[in-house]
Amino acid sequence: MITKLAWRNIWFKPLNTILSVILLTSSVAIITVLVLLEKQFEEKFSSNIDGVDLVLGAQGSPLQLILSSVYQVDAPTGNISYDSAKVWMQHPFVKKAIPLAFGDNYRGFKILGTTPDYLEKYGAKLSEGKLFEKNFEVVVGSEIAQKLSLKLGDAFFGSHGDALEGEVHDQYAYKVVGIAKQTGKVVDNLILCTIPSVWQMHDDHEEENPAHGEEGHVHSDTERELTIEESGMEITAVLLQFRNKMGIIMWPRIIAQNTKMQAASPAIEVNRLFSLFGVGIEALRYLAYGIMLISGISIFIALFNTLKERKDEFALLRVNGAKRMQLLKLVMIESLLLCVVGFVFGTILGRVALVLISNASEEDFKLGFNPYEFIWEKEGILFLLTITVGVVAALIPAIKAYNLNISKTLANA
Amino acid sequence: MITTKNIKFSYPKEQEFLFPDLYCEAGSTILITGDSGKGKTTYLHILAGLLQPTTGEIVINGTNVVSLSESKNDTFRGQNIGVVFQKSHFISSLTVLENLEMASWLALGMKNTTRAIKLLEQLDISKQANKLTSQLSIGQQQRVSIARALMNEPKVLLADEPTSSLDDKNAKKVLELLTSLSKEYKAALIIVTHDARIKDKFSNQITLV
Repeated sequence: MITKLAWRNIWFKPLNTILSVILLTSSVAIITVLVLLEKQFEEKFSSNIDGVDLVLGAQGSPLQLILSSVYQVDAPTGNISYDSAKVWMQHPFVKKAIPLAFGDNYRGFKILGTTPDYLEKYGAKLSEGKLFEKNFEVVVGSEIAQKLSLKLGDAFFGSHGDALEGEVHDQYAYKVVGIAKQTGKVVDNLILCTIPSVWQMHDDHEEENPAHGEEGHVHSDTERELTIEESGMEITAVLLQFRNKMGIIMWPRIIAQNTKMQAASPAIEVNRLFSLFGVGIEALRYLAYGIMLISGISIFIALFNTLKERKDEFALLRVNGAKRMQLLKLVMIESLLLCVVGFVFGTILGRVALVLISNASEEDFKLGFNPYEFIWEKEGILFLLTITVGVVAALIPAIKAYNLNISKTLANA
Repeated sequence: MITTKNIKFSYPKEQEFLFPDLYCEAGSTILITGDSGKGKTTYLHILAGLLQPTTGEIVINGTNVVSLSESKNDTFRGQNIGVVFQKSHFISSLTVLENLEMASWLALGMKNTTRAIKLLEQLDISKQANKLTSQLSIGQQQRVSIARALMNEPKVLLADEPTSSLDDKNAKKVLELLTSLSKEYKAALIIVTHDARIKDKFSNQITLV
């Protein structure tokens, strides 16, 4: 009954209530988005670098190299000679080396030349079909298969480079031979084929600006199948996993000094990226706490003002047999109801915002977020924080209600 | 039934009031009159248990309410004393019916809806049951206050200037309702007033001087 009365009371002054709820909702929403984004972002980024100790690629920004070759979000730094890369790939320190050759795209999704090891690294098993063996056979990531509704046996032409509007390579058609299972990693949004497919696709129209930074190859008149054994070819990057961890520390310097390539550590670059984001996230977080403080003050002012107007009501409740404690409870519950409503709306709004962010980032970076995840620990703390704001805001009004002098109030009314 | 003995009260740094003893049986009425500043409202608040007298005792149905703890006093008041004020106070966010239900819930821990509806019918305001109290006329509001005061079948019904803000017609009606209902529900009715219109209607009067 007290709760019902509290509920009626907060909606009796809808404007005050709506102001408080809006403030609380926005602060809770911002914090929820931050908490979810931060966690899922880090998870996505960290899960993709599992098993990649160093990335070998063309000189340039190491962050760019990592973003392009591991996360497929940036343009590649350039190409490297496959022959000189092989020297490092076959080094005894190296446990596994996965070469990557960037080629074309199909409706905005990258077609990546690599080896079956790439699928294995991401733990992507095939849900249908088989691995790519011959040139122009492709395995399609689960998201792509779903979005473009590709099936086994489908054939398509790629467009050059990573631009959707790139020139269409209609000489060779790619053929879908396998579809990968969902992994939640970048591989879901890639089309994978053999490296020689990429070479062959660009082999005989170098006059039309071949793959990124690729220098013209010798023009071949024959339509022969290129193989991985081809010499003088180029690839984009190599993902390296080490057997001997010394290599992780030593190689970046050795490679920079002795070759035209660079070796970048994904762990270091991702940390650098997080610390760049970190400043922004921190600022947003403080903003959200600021709004929460303001919402606390708003609740306090609303309760304090209505308390003045409602003195008579409180006195009346006492005359009808209410105890001091019940009045204290009434004020507290009013404040807590506002907080709970604000928290619920904030949690929902935060997730709606995450869906929007997710849609945008999916389009731009092929990076989606899951709005239905609940991080109980952090969101629990957020809930407690919201409740604390409510209790603190209601404290003084509640004590005033508790100490109300009924006789004086009624006599002056 | 209510009796008082030797009630004294003083506000801080002010003169002491000594209130005359009173005795009022169930179903009968006592009028307390007196000029402003003589402590009429103070006496009523003491009788209602809203103020603690410095000395003296108030016995309602065998219980000396002065000796009760504050919390027991709150419960006792809710269950045994009904109060009608000069100006009606209501919980503005609740409807007429809910205001009445609240009175029974606070005193007894449960809503007595049947009784609330019956009282509203008796007082001829059942049509207003689901309106907010602010939508009623002053005369109707006063009748709702009477209904609320009678919600828990109180032993004592206290009325503080119940008629002074009403016109003659409404004042007469309210007075009739108060006396007839207090007889019906066997409550001792104590009216505090300086309203000349009602002074000559009651033989049982106490004048504060």
